[in-house]
Amino acid sequence: MPWNRDVALVDKTPLHGPYALLSFRHPEVAREARPGQFVMIKAGLSAEPPLRRPYSILSTDPARESFTLFLKGVGQGSRGLKEMGVGDLAQCLGPLGRPFSLPASEEEALMVAGGYGIAPFFMMSRELQNASSSGRVFYGGRTSGDIQLREAFEALGMPLVAATEDGSVGFRGRVTEPLERHLDSTRTAVRLYACGPDAMLRAVASIAERRGLACEVSLDPWMGCGVGTCLGCVVWIRRAEDAKPKYRCACTEGPVFDSRVVVW
Amino acid sequence: MVPSLAVEIAGVRLKNPLIAASGTFGYGVEYEGLLDLSTLGGIVSKGLYLEPRDGCSTPRIVETPSGLLNAIGLQGVGVRNFVRDVLPRLAGHDTALFVNVCGDSIEEYAEVSRILDAAPGVAGVEINISCPNVKKGGMAFGGDPRMTAEVVAAVRKATRLPVIPKLSPNVADIAVFARVCEENGADAVSCINTLLGMVVDVETRRPRLAFGTGGLSGPAIRPIAVRMTWQAARAVKIPVLGIGGISTASDALEFMIAGARAVQIGTANFVDPAVYDRVLAGLREYLARHGHADIGSVVGSLEFPDESRA
Repeated sequence: MPWNRDVALVDKTPLHGPYALLSFRHPEVAREARPGQFVMIKAGLSAEPPLRRPYSILSTDPARESFTLFLKGVGQGSRGLKEMGVGDLAQCLGPLGRPFSLPASEEEALMVAGGYGIAPFFMMSRELQNASSSGRVFYGGRTSGDIQLREAFEALGMPLVAATEDGSVGFRGRVTEPLERHLDSTRTAVRLYACGPDAMLRAVASIAERRGLACEVSLDPWMGCGVGTCLGCVVWIRRAEDAKPKYRCACTEGPVFDSRVVVW
Repeated sequence: MVPSLAVEIAGVRLKNPLIAASGTFGYGVEYEGLLDLSTLGGIVSKGLYLEPRDGCSTPRIVETPSGLLNAIGLQGVGVRNFVRDVLPRLAGHDTALFVNVCGDSIEEYAEVSRILDAAPGVAGVEINISCPNVKKGGMAFGGDPRMTAEVVAAVRKATRLPVIPKLSPNVADIAVFARVCEENGADAVSCINTLLGMVVDVETRRPRLAFGTGGLSGPAIRPIAVRMTWQAARAVKIPVLGIGGISTASDALEFMIAGARAVQIGTANFVDPAVYDRVLAGLREYLARHGHADIGSVVGSLEFPDESRA
């Protein structure tokens, strides 16, 4: 169940370029959030910008009653958050949405991220480590500056393969190329998870379909409310029981969907 | 002494003047668990046609300075599904439920209203003659006084429930439309729906919304809404429900002082589900500070001698 609170910023770590880590005190999110869930949040208590923004939760710390967001300060909402000082208040509603499902014990979780889509996979990696499940992260960006948090994944002992379009870090090319190479070489049962730009999600979904693999994608349409009332974030979904596709809210029925039900 | 916030609209007693506006509060059940629905004076449901609707293509919403432009296009479950699946879930909450009624034709407005007339737990119908995001119906009815008259009269004949047309601000003189509603049997009017607007992406040279145009809401439209509420309230004897960018007690009071008997909170629902608690606390504080025992004494109390207008 989501909780609506004014939350204090308790920690802030600027990262390379526009990126930053922000931690807020929110006991319920810290206790209940699952990998793939998100919060609706905006800096300060003022009228601008009008709406809160959705952010995937990077990690939670139940002992400190806090959660951490990974954000790229590019728009009005994210810049406002990035400019907050420790102790400042933000308006926050969460945890929201349907989380990723965890893999079966014999399956390897292959987590494919693009840009700030890496966020939910840090929390997921922790869960996998706690459950002694195996996983691997494929992390794509345009250039080296988009590949953040590698040390954090290393510290967890989670294997991470980076790919950049300009080749400045890791594999040169799209993140789906090292993913396909791994799929070609592995004999382990796998389950795919993807979070990032739509084009990347579509590419991963089509790889999954071609190879007959289970795949979950986290969609990121414009959201107004986070609770299914503004109907701004609808996506075409066709479940087995649906005679035709239906507009469904990504905020309440997603953001995580089985890739096979998404009408791309 | 605790000031009384209760108001009466079209024979329906509301425990306070705050009503959730149509299209911003789902069918109410979405907010169960997040807030106590009994805190609200009332709820107006998302607009309903006879049949379910998909609504507009995406993108459907875009933020604007102090506002929100939307073209949702009345996605909904249809009135029969609403009566069967949603109404029973709302029965346990102590709040007045109004249902927003849509139609592609006058007959459809009447038929939806007839179905609601027979349904338990509905306090009244709000007639949507002002949605800017549908090709038929909607604003087409609310932008023409003759059509407005026909829709209101047809709904009036179809139900014994209080009938509350929701007026469009996209007209030259809203007082004309308020009077037409009153003359054709409306019990109150909601004032206003969204203002027709457009946002252009200069890189792609396309409208930001798939529908092209959309309805503007939020604090950006409040002064226009207050002005139109004032004009409508002076034109009719039936109550006016003020709507437009309300997110604080002061905002709500502007409308009530200008003549609104109650107010609807819209876009602010998306921003902060705790808005009702904050506004109610602010209203109580205001009444106590000004020595009013009853919110009713604020309504229409605007100090504005007409002769001072040149």
